[in-house]
Amino acid sequence: MTVQNNIPAKWKYHNVLAWATFVTTAVAVYLVFMWVPNERIQGPVSKIIYFHVSSAWLAFFSFFVVMVGSIAYLKTRNLKWDIISYVSAEIGVLFTTIVLVTGPIWGRASWNAWWTWDSRLTTTLILWFIYIAYLIIRSSFPEEEKKARFSAIFGIVGFVDVPIVWMSIRWWRTIHPTIVTSGGFAMDPSMVLTLMVSLAAFTLMYFYLLQKGIFVEKISSEVALLKQRLTEN
Amino acid sequence: MDMLKGIRAIVRKDLTAELRTKELLSSMAIFAVLTIIVFVFAFDPTKAIVRQVFPGMVWVCFIFAGILGLNRSFVSEKQNDCITGLMLCPVDRSVIYFSKMTVNLIYMGIVEIVSLPLFTVLFNYQIPVKAISPLVLIIFLGTLGFAAVGTFLAALSSNARSSEILLPVILFPVMVPVILGAVQATAAILAGSPAVEWFSWLKILTAFDAIFLVVPLVLFEYILEV
Amino acid sequence: MSYLFAAYMAIWILIFGYTLFLGRREKQLQEELFLLKKSFEKRYQNS
Repeated sequence: MTVQNNIPAKWKYHNVLAWATFVTTAVAVYLVFMWVPNERIQGPVSKIIYFHVSSAWLAFFSFFVVMVGSIAYLKTRNLKWDIISYVSAEIGVLFTTIVLVTGPIWGRASWNAWWTWDSRLTTTLILWFIYIAYLIIRSSFPEEEKKARFSAIFGIVGFVDVPIVWMSIRWWRTIHPTIVTSGGFAMDPSMVLTLMVSLAAFTLMYFYLLQKGIFVEKISSEVALLKQRLTEN
Repeated sequence: MDMLKGIRAIVRKDLTAELRTKELLSSMAIFAVLTIIVFVFAFDPTKAIVRQVFPGMVWVCFIFAGILGLNRSFVSEKQNDCITGLMLCPVDRSVIYFSKMTVNLIYMGIVEIVSLPLFTVLFNYQIPVKAISPLVLIIFLGTLGFAAVGTFLAALSSNARSSEILLPVILFPVMVPVILGAVQATAAILAGSPAVEWFSWLKILTAFDAIFLVVPLVLFEYILEV
Repeated sequence: MSYLFAAYMAIWILIFGYTLFLGRREKQLQEELFLLKKSFEKRYQNS
């Protein structure tokens, strides 16, 4: 038998993407800290919003990618899609964690309470649990095929569940009197621009992490394959 | 009508097996009663606060007892590889899902019929007579949603080695709308609020039930692959 | 102000932590892959 020399290669534009991410992030940080004016009422703390909102948006986007990858996997049975869903779910959990950490810090600063059962924050928390469950499912099936199939099924169910979770939590909040609401944030054009740049920076970062994660997963499956062959003979 | 026939046959098979041993139903019922006892010790029933948390306690009890049933519903088929026999039945895969769901619904219904009166007696809680019929409706819808998504995820987790641990972890976050809707609606009904106040919860529960009865119809065949 | 600082520290620690974790996993796997390839080659030459 021959040893094929197929070490997975890095994506062609890996370095381009890395630099683009770095530069946009640097610009975003500059805009947030040096350029954009403070929000009138909340003061400097309001600057959390730029990266908080960007992470929330990307978390949601990653989970959407998980669902698309899951459907594609079940249709085509190509493990490529499974890897995309897995990496995307992991990044999504990372961004959700960022939202869940920065949200309370912002809340503490602007309305003096770490946690409010505000509908957006609560939905994010449930989202976090759903995708942690997704990752737990992956770790509890050692077989490649089962892992891919069952996590794909859960990836679809979890995403279908999100809008109804959101609605039920919103209704729940409207019944109970809310002491504080997080809405009401007057944005002037410079703030919108900063938010857009932060969003772009985080989106690039998402794609950077995604391709990096996919690359790592490819090596990992290659290692698994070689190990299996080693035990075979 | 082949589908209904298939469902009836599998449900009858499960109920017959259960009636011979009574192992699952009896432990579910005992567990539910024990949960009530724990609640009695944890929250002093003479205090007024108990009236406010009563709906929550009822649903926690139902759901915890229900988890026991869900855990068994597919794992028991794994022994002696009975699941292969079920899959060889000349019916659609979704028929297996719907019959398992019906069985879970029946078990939970029995547990609810036993434990709800006990709750009212042990907590000295009077349910108004005119609240009974909406309450039954909400309990039915909540239990249906729980059984629908629970049976589906139980089938999924039964393939893992540690399925008893896996199931609650993946089930609870997904059924947040059911818990919220059922508890809030039960609270509103027991407080004697007008129907407008719990009508939106009724809608949420119905929507959830509808979605999670349709999703398994499409996805269940992927779970039962060989 | 310190809240702003804390929030941004948290964001960067999480992101860098994850990138570092990915990089470490990659390095580990690359090494493992290298070893496996070498052992294959050795076996191939012997036979």
